[in-house]
Amino acid sequence: MSVVFESMLTAGLAALAAGVFWLLGWRLRRAHALLSALGVSVGFAVLYWRVQGRPDFPPIDATQWVFWHALLALPLGWLAGITPAYRWVWVWGALLGVLWLFVPPFRPLLESGFWSLTVGVAYIVGFALATWLLMTLTAPLGEERGLATPFLIALLGGVSAGVLFYGAKSASLAQLSGTLGAVVGVGVPLAFLRGFTIGRGAVALAMLLFMSLWTTALGFAQLTPGQLVVLYLLALTPALRLLPAMQRLSPAVRLALPLAIVLVVGGAAVGLTYRAYMAQSGDYYSY
Amino acid sequence: MRKQTRFVAYLSILAMLVGSMQSMQAQAVTYRIDPIHSFIIFRVKHLNTGFAYGRFNSFSGTIVVDEKNPANSSIELEIDANSVDTGNSQRDDHLRSPDFFNTRQFPKITFKSTRVRKINDTTVEVQGDLTMRGVTRPITARVTFTGKGRNQRGQEISGFETTFTIRRSQFNINYGLNGGLDDEVRVTFAVEGIRQ
Repeated sequence: MSVVFESMLTAGLAALAAGVFWLLGWRLRRAHALLSALGVSVGFAVLYWRVQGRPDFPPIDATQWVFWHALLALPLGWLAGITPAYRWVWVWGALLGVLWLFVPPFRPLLESGFWSLTVGVAYIVGFALATWLLMTLTAPLGEERGLATPFLIALLGGVSAGVLFYGAKSASLAQLSGTLGAVVGVGVPLAFLRGFTIGRGAVALAMLLFMSLWTTALGFAQLTPGQLVVLYLLALTPALRLLPAMQRLSPAVRLALPLAIVLVVGGAAVGLTYRAYMAQSGDYYSY
Repeated sequence: MRKQTRFVAYLSILAMLVGSMQSMQAQAVTYRIDPIHSFIIFRVKHLNTGFAYGRFNSFSGTIVVDEKNPANSSIELEIDANSVDTGNSQRDDHLRSPDFFNTRQFPKITFKSTRVRKINDTTVEVQGDLTMRGVTRPITARVTFTGKGRNQRGQEISGFETTFTIRRSQFNINYGLNGGLDDEVRVTFAVEGIRQ
């Protein structure tokens, strides 16, 4: 079986898993919050299993925590869709949750001395706070109807795949990241269903998983802090649509602005990492 | 007279003890692996087509050889996973990444023998534990004695070589198994040891 076909099959299965849960969530409105998060959670689990095989629990290899984040963070995704009266539970729960989730993957780097205690703790707390901010700021995008939210997140997945492939030099992290974008991208065709939204939980969980992949790439592969910051800012870009000034604009403009930023800045980021990658060796290595 | 006899007896026992200790020392010889004249190379099939070769440039270890009692022989090896070299820096970076060796978390690959059994005058079967990417698995390899001599410094040297196959999936190295890179990796370890 060809590698391309394998990758497409993986993306198809992961997207199908997410799509089934989201369709169920569309029909069963009372369970929408849980099914919205379950779509991303199960979709990513299928994707990871296909790309990396069965992970251990607890993982021997710290990079396997990405898989477990998809499952362990499910309650956070569900909480993201909780009724507005109890939204404080989601905000505080997400903060405590991410602080807990980001410790185990990076502990080996502290134990091995790759990071000093101060640097390591600063990184871990920084990752957790940045993830919490990203999740809470972007989650409301899941309530928006139309294709803008899943489309922008899918595009973010594509940019992320390019940066991880050429910058972090990890094909598996790039594939996981790009296909995570494709999983959320299933929301684009589903957006044509009347009243369909991917849900707050799906967006929150997708953002947490992107951060999990990017921070893993920084800790265990060769992603630079600068590249991580660019990806992070690009992930925040769709939330510009929620600004009061943007809310007053037409739907086309509300989509066009973040889209242009992701395309231009993201395209430049991929281009620059590609150039640096090619400058490393005269011959192209195609994995 | 009796004192003299006792003294001679003590002397004989001492001589026997010293002799047996010397013979014990002569039986078990320790060699330090000479990294300059030793090689760890591996090959794996790429896209089900051709073989890709690579090597590790930095490693250390010892080989203990007991010719009289091979069961007392042993091998210990420690490889710097970051020293992987396939002749292409992009591919080497990829091999260091979490897709393969994850060297930030697992910078060392180690082998420690658990049992050595003589096959014939030049070959032994070595069983041992290979630890890679945090996973330890038992492996068995036939090690051949390839020669003995002296180096330019006059030190006694011995050569050994072994080739064995491992399945990388058993060490949680699963990337590209679906048609990209084969699961089976053939490893050749050719070593020159300097007698200590």
